[in-house]
Amino acid sequence: MRFAPGIRVRARVLDPDHHTRLPGYVRGQRGEIVEAEGVCPLPDDRARGIVPPRVETVYAVRFPAAALWGTGTHTVTVDLWESYLEEVG
Amino acid sequence: MSRVHDVGGQSGFGPVPLDDDGQRFHADWEARVYALNAVLRARGIYNVDEFRDAIERIPPTEYLEASYYERWLRAIETLLAEKGLG
Repeated sequence: MRFAPGIRVRARVLDPDHHTRLPGYVRGQRGEIVEAEGVCPLPDDRARGIVPPRVETVYAVRFPAAALWGTGTHTVTVDLWESYLEEVG
Repeated sequence: MSRVHDVGGQSGFGPVPLDDDGQRFHADWEARVYALNAVLRARGIYNVDEFRDAIERIPPTEYLEASYYERWLRAIETLLAEKGLG
């Protein structure tokens, strides 16, 4: 586990030509780690038949809705694999 | 660029339809597609991520016109053909 709860992270701007669980609406957005939810094989690898797939920590990451949609006072929490994230310096 | 399925944050699709009639399937063929996918995954022919990838590779115009289980069937057909089982 690389990121502790409360750490500020940014979802990477990845543009894979294969399956990914990184939704377009969070790419490049800043959020906060809520908690680590355990480890899980990386879907990007499993979708491509890579054996063995990378196994990474999956985090619940909270984003302000206004940053994602331009409106709203609520937050949006997304499950994201570790390689989808980078720490905000 | 995101694939056609990645519609989070896009407007213009209208309200999310909620099937509240208690019916899991609305035609026998839908249940058969569901079962077929379960068997193929259980036997290790493909995994859920390959299946999702195959759904996302449906050409956008076809994807948007297809129903939920039509997409499933199309993905199954794609994977079986690619794996030489079709």
